Amino acid sequence: MENLNLIATKYTPSIDLNTNGIFSIVGKSYPENTFEFYEPMMQWLKKYFSNNTPEKTSVNMEIIYFNSSSSKLFFDFFDLLEENREEHNIEINWIYDADNESSEEAGQDFIEDFEDLTINLVTK
Amino acid sequence: MNNKLIDELEALKKDFTVTTDHFIKSIKRQDKIMARSDQRQQREYDELQRKFDEVANLTKEIEDTQKEVVFTLGAIGESRSKETGNHVKRVAQYSKLFALYYGLPEEEAEKLKQASPMHDIGKIAIPDAILNKPGRLDAEERKIMDTHADLGYEMFKGSTRPLLQCAAIVANEHHEKWDGTGYPNQTKGEDTHIYGRITAIADVFDALGSHRVYKEAWDDERIFKLFKEERAKHFDPTLVDIFFEHLDEFLNIRDSLKDIDYT
Repeated sequence: MENLNLIATKYTPSIDLNTNGIFSIVGKSYPENTFEFYEPMMQWLKKYFSNNTPEKTSVNMEIIYFNSSSSKLFFDFFDLLEENREEHNIEINWIYDADNESSEEAGQDFIEDFEDLTINLVTK
Repeated sequence: MNNKLIDELEALKKDFTVTTDHFIKSIKRQDKIMARSDQRQQREYDELQRKFDEVANLTKEIEDTQKEVVFTLGAIGESRSKETGNHVKRVAQYSKLFALYYGLPEEEAEKLKQASPMHDIGKIAIPDAILNKPGRLDAEERKIMDTHADLGYEMFKGSTRPLLQCAAIVANEHHEKWDGTGYPNQTKGEDTHIYGRITAIADVFDALGSHRVYKEAWDDERIFKLFKEERAKHFDPTLVDIFFEHLDEFLNIRDSLKDIDYT
């Protein structure tokens, strides 16, 4: 299985999913078609979790700006992580700038909704 | 005894619960996303509005500063040549009025209004001995004096700013004449830029009607006579026509910007 690397654009974040278990999603997320954009990532993850995975999976998310459908997509993404949490040691770092209230709130929402996931709020 | 139908119904019930739970969770989540999104949009829009105001204020600040600097520059040019402060203001107003009646758009007329006071800016590079000489200039001195048109042009020609480009044209062409006997390039008719033609007539009208250390103010009849004579000679005939057609407006500007004390 190969790593997934998508370069950031004006409307989309950079996505680096490494088979060694280090994931990072960094940038802005307001694509024209959010679900289409993230489809390769979701497919990759499903494949990743069905394979032998490394001991630990670390997800670093640093989303500066996101639209509503991206917010929905992130919930779906966390659903997928939650489904796999028992067999995989998953840790999520939600990284945000201290000034970025929206990003902080989103992080808190995720923690609230996904009690069984390890989500760390990390200020920059 | 197991009733198979009951088992099936129980299983369906369980599936139904799972499915409805899933839907409820999904709907709640959707509601939350919407609520957050509304809050966010409100914040973003407020922030945008704040930034727009800031940009508008800064833009105004820049424009005001530019106007002031340009006006001050013009005033420096005039003070060197013993003109009065209101002269540049009046020339500015006349120029805009000419521009509007000539048919230039408001924005361009306003630009010319701001640039026309700089027509004599080249005079800051003319030696005092010539600039302030009490009597008539001899041929050699006149030649040096006349370089102020080119000197002014040189000062602004490198700028990409529309206002300063306009000032460059005004400085360079305000001594050209309709019949091609002006300076520095002896351009004729509409080969002289409209900015130059307008500033020429505005400047002369004001200079003639103003008291100077070396001359009394001309009375209006004498000025009008000259304008009629110089129609299509010194001045663009269209502009002379505009002048007479809207004479009251030009005189109003003159009255509202009188030189208070010139003793």
